[in-house]
Amino acid sequence: MPLKWVLHWQPNAGTTVNSQIINEVTQCVESINGVKEGRWKATITFYKPMIREQTLAWDFPRDFLGIALPEQPNKYYLIIRLQRIVLEADSSIQMIMEKLQSYKSRLSLNFEGFQYQLGDFQLRVGKVLPTHSENLRGIVMEVEYLPISSMEKARQVMEDFMDIWQQALSKRSLPGHFMHMEPNFAEYGLADQYTSQHTAVQYATVMAQLIATVQAVQARN
Amino acid sequence: MECVVQGIIETQHVEALEILLQGLCGVRRENLRLHEICLKSGPNLGAVASEVRLICNLEQTEPTWTVRHIGGAMRGAGAEQISVLVRTMVESKASKNVLRLFYALGYKLDHELLRVGFAFHFQRGTQITVTVSSVNKMLQLHATDEAVPVTPGIQLVEVTAPATSENYTEVVAAVSSFCEYLAPLLHLSKPGISTGVVPTAAAAAASLMSDGGGEELSS
Repeated sequence: MPLKWVLHWQPNAGTTVNSQIINEVTQCVESINGVKEGRWKATITFYKPMIREQTLAWDFPRDFLGIALPEQPNKYYLIIRLQRIVLEADSSIQMIMEKLQSYKSRLSLNFEGFQYQLGDFQLRVGKVLPTHSENLRGIVMEVEYLPISSMEKARQVMEDFMDIWQQALSKRSLPGHFMHMEPNFAEYGLADQYTSQHTAVQYATVMAQLIATVQAVQARN
Repeated sequence: MECVVQGIIETQHVEALEILLQGLCGVRRENLRLHEICLKSGPNLGAVASEVRLICNLEQTEPTWTVRHIGGAMRGAGAEQISVLVRTMVESKASKNVLRLFYALGYKLDHELLRVGFAFHFQRGTQITVTVSSVNKMLQLHATDEAVPVTPGIQLVEVTAPATSENYTEVVAAVSSFCEYLAPLLHLSKPGISTGVVPTAAAAAASLMSDGGGEELSS
């Protein structure tokens, strides 16, 4: 399958994300001739262990995530980031998790927005919103390069594209920039050929960054 | 949900059972080699103690994994009157690191088994699966190549059919009626209620082996 990079908006120190930035980013995609194609939505759920003895809470993973991706509507991804585990399962694994009553959903975030076609690239810009809320928590962007599925072979063309993109966006003098943090896929047992598990791992990495950003802001205040 | 009945048969009559099933189902058997790992939640995890099964299909060139959760059986006067167990069951295929994930989540190995035998999948009033397998235990952790039978000379027969809360009565009827065809060779009942081997098995098996098939029964 085609490879993609998942990027997140890194606000400049002292600033936060707002919907005006989303509007500017969307306009920027359209200004470089991105053709709007439709909506997309991914969901990340944070699970927490249901434990009987709270003092033993540290025995259980605190970064256990479930991810539903639009590219694989019948699949669900479970990730424990600190232990570098990513699992691909059928969507019914969510029902199994519910029946086991050992972990429960603590918080769900939607990543949603529009998809654009731009030559061989597909871009998705999305807001990060808690479910049932309009409280913007972040901005993500997916850049997918359709002809290639090898991460390494596509690296140059992806970097070139990002240069053009950052240049176009810099004209708008926004208070931040899109950041690409490539996880070490090999640590998760993933190879160079791109799969949806790579996407799930990237989302988990982006999520960790968003949390770190929010925590940094809170620490400053 | 699924409907399920189980029974046992002596290994010497398994060939006759296979001939009978072949005649009844009209489909080819599939070989079965399943490594089943039963995990239980650690002592401090979960609102209630929980159990999950990871099943690795070793028949495939690249082994595939399935997570299976078996829930409580249907209760009540109605459920007691029927001869088939109706229970909740959810399955999900998973990638090969599923055992590592469940260990990381705080699940512990309870026991593991290797089921070797064959299965028939067919449509008869409903989608039915019959599995005939010898259940083996491992002498060393995950050593499926050195597994030994739990009950030598005896094999487990299981008839299952997927159901929903809307259609389970019809599925139960289809499963019960199918089980009657197998009655000369074995008796099938709700899991956990063992009825042993049937006395007519040897004669029925001899008859099946001599006429070379179950065509007569399937008509």
